[in-house]
Amino acid sequence: VTSSTPFSVTLVVNGRSVTREAGGHLTLLRWLRENADALDPKYACGEGICGAVSSCVVLAAQVDGAEVTTAAGLTGPDGSLNDLQESFHRHHAAQCGFCTPGMLICAAAMLSEGAAGSREEIREGLHGNLCRCTGYQHIVDAIEECATTGTSATTR
Amino acid sequence: VYVKPFRYERAASLAEAADALRGLEGAGRLIAGGQSLMPMMNLGLVDVDAVVDISRAEESRGVAEDDGYLRIGALTRHRELERDPLVAAHQPLLAAAARNVGSARVRNRGTLGGSLAHSDPAAELPLAMTTLGATYEVTNGRETRSVPVEEFHLTYFTTSLGSDDVLAGARVPKLGPGWGWGFVEVSRRPGDFAIVAAAALVRLAGAEIVESRLCLGGVSERPLRLGGVESSLTGARVVDVPERVPEIEGLEPMTDTSATGEHRKHLSRVLAIRALQDACARAEEAA
Repeated sequence: VTSSTPFSVTLVVNGRSVTREAGGHLTLLRWLRENADALDPKYACGEGICGAVSSCVVLAAQVDGAEVTTAAGLTGPDGSLNDLQESFHRHHAAQCGFCTPGMLICAAAMLSEGAAGSREEIREGLHGNLCRCTGYQHIVDAIEECATTGTSATTR
Repeated sequence: VYVKPFRYERAASLAEAADALRGLEGAGRLIAGGQSLMPMMNLGLVDVDAVVDISRAEESRGVAEDDGYLRIGALTRHRELERDPLVAAHQPLLAAAARNVGSARVRNRGTLGGSLAHSDPAAELPLAMTTLGATYEVTNGRETRSVPVEEFHLTYFTTSLGSDDVLAGARVPKLGPGWGWGFVEVSRRPGDFAIVAAAALVRLAGAEIVESRLCLGGVSERPLRLGGVESSLTGARVVDVPERVPEIEGLEPMTDTSATGEHRKHLSRVLAIRALQDACARAEEAA
């Protein structure tokens, strides 16, 4: 019973439906990178601690049928940055860039849930997303601006 | 690290999961939220031959009222415990414990059953369940039995679950009138595993403690109930709590990279007092 079994998984990745039969043991992260050409999520700590991605602690087969949005999926069809990404850019909220995809997705979720009402709430929401460059001030600034101007962070 | 390939099976119900476990003859591990198992696999700490996915067994997700109890399905996520109105109304200690688990990312996927079955002695939810005197429901698909919490968590990462058993949920008594609760922990950073955690329930009559329950996490091989301290608190005035909680005897907590055993021992008494005082304050507020 030891070897991997192929398992058919369908995911809508950044608006594009992808069906692949691949090892049932693949994490969502690996499935996205190998089967859906989504290369912006990157393996980091693997423990669910750093927040750079959360797809490293989820099996693709577990979320079969789901819609998945990666940071690259926040951009418009013509590649233009959305308001949140623009704000990150304007505020220099990305330094080395490794934490940025996770920060963007986390921020987008916070903004869409209305959970970015104050700097304190934003900090609380970002808990679990580590920035090795310690660029937290700029990241909070970028999210705060989106929250106060009420811009939509999730739509493309 | 890429995990070693394993067989993936999906179960639509807990009964189906128990059947799958029997079919795999001991080689199968259950996965629900994956927030304990996946990190351990990524780190190469466990090798798994087969995984049975129960995350779609929706029948076992959610909180329901059952007379004087709350019945909480094993697939209920930490985030749901944190925000559930029934939990908030009838057993808020559980919501506080859930809030202390990991980050929002972990709480969005991690499940009650996963945390209980993982049985980390420093984890918040086994501690809360021990304090509340919960009873777990365990099924093998053919019969379902009740297991008192103290017969479930045996030692480090070890429970009394058999090889084809599935934890289905927990029955938790509602917090009665006159009771207050406290839950405090010290960790390196918010969301980390507790170095030491303490949970307490107190029932007051006026300014006097009539009844209490007090447990510690992170100091021994499983959540530790302090029955001796509970007895010595009976009849005590709220202001006398600190002097009624002595150095906890027989405690030999481990030393690791987070804290020395001595530090844990010190924290045990301090946090026990704080949890009791919080419980007293909440009981007074409610009165």
